[in-house]
Amino acid sequence: MTETVGPITQDSLRAQEAMRIRAARPDLAARHDLTSHDGLTAARSDITAEGDAGSLVTVVLRNFDLAQWVRDTCVFALGVGAQQAADWRTSFTRTVFLAGNPAQLRERFRFAHIAGDDSAAWTTPGPAALTFSLRRLLKLFDAPAGLPARPDTLVEIPDGHRRPGRPRARRDLYVATAECTISEALVHVNHVLAEAVLDGLVAPGDHLVVHQVPRIVGLPARLATVRVTTEKHLPGRLKAAAGLTEEALVA
Amino acid sequence: MTILSVAGPRPRPDAVDRPRVLLAPITVTPSKPLTPSHLKGLLWTDVMYRATRPLADVAYRYSHTTYHPTEQTLGFWEFLDRSRGATDYGDFTEERIGELYVAFRAAERAPAQALFPYAEAVEQGWVHPASTRILQLWSAHYAALGLHDPGLLRHQPPGLGLDAVLERLTGLGMCLDQREVGGPVYLDLTRLGLPLRRLVAADGRPNYLACALRELIPLAPDFDEVVLLYDHELDSDYQQLERVLTALGPRVRRVAVSRVPVEGRISSARHGGWRGLHAGTLIDAARAEYHEDAVRLGMRLYFIAALGPGRQQSFRSDLLLQCVKRAARLLDAAGPETDGAALQDRLAQHRKDHVYVDPYRLTSHLLGKRRAAPAADLLRTVFL
Repeated sequence: MTETVGPITQDSLRAQEAMRIRAARPDLAARHDLTSHDGLTAARSDITAEGDAGSLVTVVLRNFDLAQWVRDTCVFALGVGAQQAADWRTSFTRTVFLAGNPAQLRERFRFAHIAGDDSAAWTTPGPAALTFSLRRLLKLFDAPAGLPARPDTLVEIPDGHRRPGRPRARRDLYVATAECTISEALVHVNHVLAEAVLDGLVAPGDHLVVHQVPRIVGLPARLATVRVTTEKHLPGRLKAAAGLTEEALVA
Repeated sequence: MTILSVAGPRPRPDAVDRPRVLLAPITVTPSKPLTPSHLKGLLWTDVMYRATRPLADVAYRYSHTTYHPTEQTLGFWEFLDRSRGATDYGDFTEERIGELYVAFRAAERAPAQALFPYAEAVEQGWVHPASTRILQLWSAHYAALGLHDPGLLRHQPPGLGLDAVLERLTGLGMCLDQREVGGPVYLDLTRLGLPLRRLVAADGRPNYLACALRELIPLAPDFDEVVLLYDHELDSDYQQLERVLTALGPRVRRVAVSRVPVEGRISSARHGGWRGLHAGTLIDAARAEYHEDAVRLGMRLYFIAALGPGRQQSFRSDLLLQCVKRAARLLDAAGPETDGAALQDRLAQHRKDHVYVDPYRLTSHLLGKRRAAPAADLLRTVFL
């Protein structure tokens, strides 16, 4: 998954999506022709049909600040154990976002990570049944507003268990804001970050610069990974919803 | 952040040693005739109120103003104005307005924005003439049945505005406010293992629970006991309400009264479930054969003692009339007046560890086969 995406075109988006499916689920890749739009759609509908099977993470959100949530998402993903990470990856890092206040829940439920200000909490990846009682208590996070405008923001991933000698890398995270609610942005950015961490693209101590742009087109740097979604008003076409650039070294 | 701390009731200013009780039943939306289910709830509350008054300082809070901001009321008003325009509702019957309400429930919802002018007007004391007409008709039924009128036609605004009540809940550690992301506001008692409950929709509309909190949060600390009377189907909401009010000091009692099935079915008034059975027709039918006092007592015997708190029995007009007949006999045989202390003693028997008098136990007691006829003052104080 470390091939770069190249310029954003329908072909490159299709190839990127096919690569994502092939990496997580070779069986689906064998079943469908992932070079075609119809094949990709069929594979996606198979994934949707699997429902709650497989591994999932539940994220509880009290409130949402993109830069802080990006940081905590990486911290959480960096702490996921190897086997759990593999299972979660097979489930396409499936994540359920719920409205809730971690401060009210921490006595009743075990979380793998809680943001320092209690704004968000993450459960360990696992079967859906393990978080049934948490999900029964809470509601789906309903955030129909668009992302509030903000300047480019540097997010420093804490050093944590940084491998000695690994140079500190910097990447740019682009988030497309046009026709995108906060609820949708969460899903896109979550997949990009979680998969980038599990694939070793983001490590402790790295820097991410978060850019909000209307659309991900004509970027100054090449993307290492991209979240592909469908165009709302252009049937049959894909678009990049979020993407992480190739690394540059932090001076 | 204060979290779920229990304050204890505010001390009363006059140092009188009588317990203070707040009766807070859920109101009926003034958009349709009063069905047997509604009558049951109203009669239960009335008997509880009048039987508890000799034993405690009782406030009976029943404010339509409080619940007008709910979507089912504002939406109905907006629907009437949009679909009918200028109309004189002054001679409309309950059934006719009820039919319009059924049409509203079947029609497509107006966007939240269309309701804002109505929501603002309600805060200033405005009521749509169709609902005013309903409330006038209900006032006449209340008078016929001897029901205490808790101010059907009065402007009785809740003590707190919506933002103020959300702020209070936040202070209590019970609010999850996601308006910043365009989301809803929830009552958050998840610490106690109760599920999140929405109070304000993402489009800004408050629901009836938000309205109840606006009213009851400022009132509750002034009472030793708060009695919540409600339809059994709202039990989970009322469990939440109980937790919130308990944190403010009073002991909170939940009294769930089930609806009355008609021909075995509990049908909601939103589908026109009254089918010719409502307060007006039932009172008229009983009054055709019996005098006023017999009808008043008979209705209470039927809706409280005969039907009980549950929902096992379907409504039966013949049994209602039998109860009215029985009531006429009880009234003829009524015993002599007793003194006030004796009345208090008799009422106090129908309590457990609560201050309020249990309407079911008290009313059923009148029907005991070998009982002495009830005293005239008990009947007059509580049942007529």
